[in-house]
Amino acid sequence: MQVFADILTEYWADFLSGAWLTLQLVVISALLGVALAIPLALARLSENRLVAGAASAYSLFFRGTPLLVQIFLVYYGLGQFDFVRGSFLWPVLREAYVCALITFVLNTAAYSGEIVRGGILAVPKGEIEAARACGMNTFKAYKLVILPRAFSICLPAYSNEVIILMKGTSLASTITLLELTGMARLAASDTYQPIQVFVIAGVIYYLMTLLISWIFGQLEARYNRYITHAR
Amino acid sequence: MQPVIDYLPLLLQGLATTLKLAVSTVIVGLILGLLLALAKLSPRAWLSRPAFWVTNFLRGIPEFLVLLVIYFGGTQVLGQVFGDKAPNVSPFLAGLIALGVIFGAYASETFRAAFQSVPRGQIEAGRAYGFSAWQCFRYIQMPQIWRVAIPGLGNLWQGSVKDTALVSVVGLDDVMRKAQQAAQTTREPFTFYLVASLMFLIITLISMWLIAKAEKRASRGVAGAR
Amino acid sequence: MTTSGSPSGQLALEVTGIRKTFGEQEVLKGISLKAHEHDVVAILGSSGSGKSTFLRCINLLETPTAGEVRVKGELIKMGTRHGAPAPADPKQVDRIRSKLAMVFQQFNLWQHMTILENVTAAQIHVLGRGKAEAAEKAEAMLAKVGVADKRGHYPSQLSGGQQQRVAIARALAMDPEVMLFDEPTSALDPELVNEVLRVMRGLAEEGRTMLVVTHEIGFAREAANKVMFLHKGVVEDEGEPRALLANPNSERFRQFLSGSLK
Repeated sequence: MQVFADILTEYWADFLSGAWLTLQLVVISALLGVALAIPLALARLSENRLVAGAASAYSLFFRGTPLLVQIFLVYYGLGQFDFVRGSFLWPVLREAYVCALITFVLNTAAYSGEIVRGGILAVPKGEIEAARACGMNTFKAYKLVILPRAFSICLPAYSNEVIILMKGTSLASTITLLELTGMARLAASDTYQPIQVFVIAGVIYYLMTLLISWIFGQLEARYNRYITHAR
Repeated sequence: MQPVIDYLPLLLQGLATTLKLAVSTVIVGLILGLLLALAKLSPRAWLSRPAFWVTNFLRGIPEFLVLLVIYFGGTQVLGQVFGDKAPNVSPFLAGLIALGVIFGAYASETFRAAFQSVPRGQIEAGRAYGFSAWQCFRYIQMPQIWRVAIPGLGNLWQGSVKDTALVSVVGLDDVMRKAQQAAQTTREPFTFYLVASLMFLIITLISMWLIAKAEKRASRGVAGAR
Repeated sequence: MTTSGSPSGQLALEVTGIRKTFGEQEVLKGISLKAHEHDVVAILGSSGSGKSTFLRCINLLETPTAGEVRVKGELIKMGTRHGAPAPADPKQVDRIRSKLAMVFQQFNLWQHMTILENVTAAQIHVLGRGKAEAAEKAEAMLAKVGVADKRGHYPSQLSGGQQQRVAIARALAMDPEVMLFDEPTSALDPELVNEVLRVMRGLAEEGRTMLVVTHEIGFAREAANKVMFLHKGVVEDEGEPRALLANPNSERFRQFLSGSLK
């Protein structure tokens, strides 16, 4: 136990700043990811074959390949193209932080898009018919009935996706970012006590998992009030 | 295109390692998952509680971190035991342990749900006909849990295949690392990471097809099953 | 088409020659109906007779394969899309639907909205009423069907009979020209059927124009001024309720009424 205390006294600030960066990556990626997931889900459900096919291909690529490859594709891969290097965006796209965010957003959007699509498909057909029978057009039916209903159906699955996203952010350490895992790797090689250091990092990650579950528990209690009384 | 053709044999070598690790992971993970599920379902609290703690904790931390603990922790332990003559930790073995344990943690939940989906009456009927507890497990429960468990296990397999890529970070010569080497020598990182990702994509597509077949097979005799 | 039920007002709904095929099977083989203002038409039929499909063709929840629907003289314009019949003007359909309020067998209340929100949503977003006006109207309609005290509840907290009455309030709030009831009591426990029928009788007495697909012969006899019996996609019998129910023209209708045709 003494060892843990020693490591914490020495490295607490590193752990803290690492955890802060992890949290940042999670929150930003989750928000942008959802913003992208909704149009993606709608595209997947589109009657237009071209639109639906493109969305499916996107979804398949990001869900069917390792996150690590995706990160490397963005961070190391983009520089292969002269038009990227030459563009005014290059100073930004060269940043590991930006590359990590881009990858996480694209990746979580693919998974979240599937969740949203599932939620939309799970809205009872009768409730949609009732909306149409009242004279709501497709847009209004989506806005007032389908999306709000799908939102609450999706919440539990989405909570899991955010936890998976948080775990995925540990890969940012492979492209030099000093988030929680990155900091832990530094501390581990510093102290020659990787087990203790990684266990501390693990506990912090676990606490963040609990935090995410708790937040979504609150959201579910708030937005799914109507379900708790069901049948 | 030429560099890709030049490096293809190397990449395929890496792919073989990737697949070897993924398959070994599933074997270790299935056994571990089944044991953990039985522990969780045990009426003995000293057995079920720790099983829940361990799997909940493992599912709440990054897979990458688990791998780092096993790999660098293994080096640390071996160093303490053997001093200077400590053998190196094999990346394959570290990967197998890390990914196997993670697969087991998730699979235990899949199995647990599957066991609970078999109605009690089925087991009671077995006992009433004189089956032993083991016979009930072997002949009545096991055949029925697959139907429920296969979709979940299929997802875990897909996850494991993708997670093998992490092991390249600690030095496994898998498809990911081969792509990295090719990328560095040819200075065409996008090309080679894209090729690597397409290889993973092919495995994913083949797996999806096989899992769908397995699901169909396991659902025989169940009315209205997917 | 003329029946002994005296049409007391102008034509509210005119449906001519509705046909509907699903794949190979033709479930509606040319059905016509005229409903004047204040008419209450009970549509009877065994299961599979096509009576619900007919009702759903009127507000285009199902697209009829052929036939015409006129609401207050306005023809719903049909065209084709990808080679299949489809409404020519979706905006027109939405507008007409808001005049043809439907009450469903499974209530289909929006589970994520409170009772009050269920009744105000379409008023605000389809009819463009102000929030206060919509709420006032909703309160009045909820009071009318006897569930005003539930305004803040969610549908899942209500019994089936209460949910169906809310659904009726939701329909009434639209000030519809014609109300369509699709087996409104079929999903209810027997002891809850009467509270819904009582509300519907009240509406009939008020002079609402109603089309009611139902199994409740008693309701047809007492509240309707016209009965239509569908069998295998055709109108097998129709007429003034008391006379027709006492003495059906069609042998099949006789069997249906005696309970031997389900």
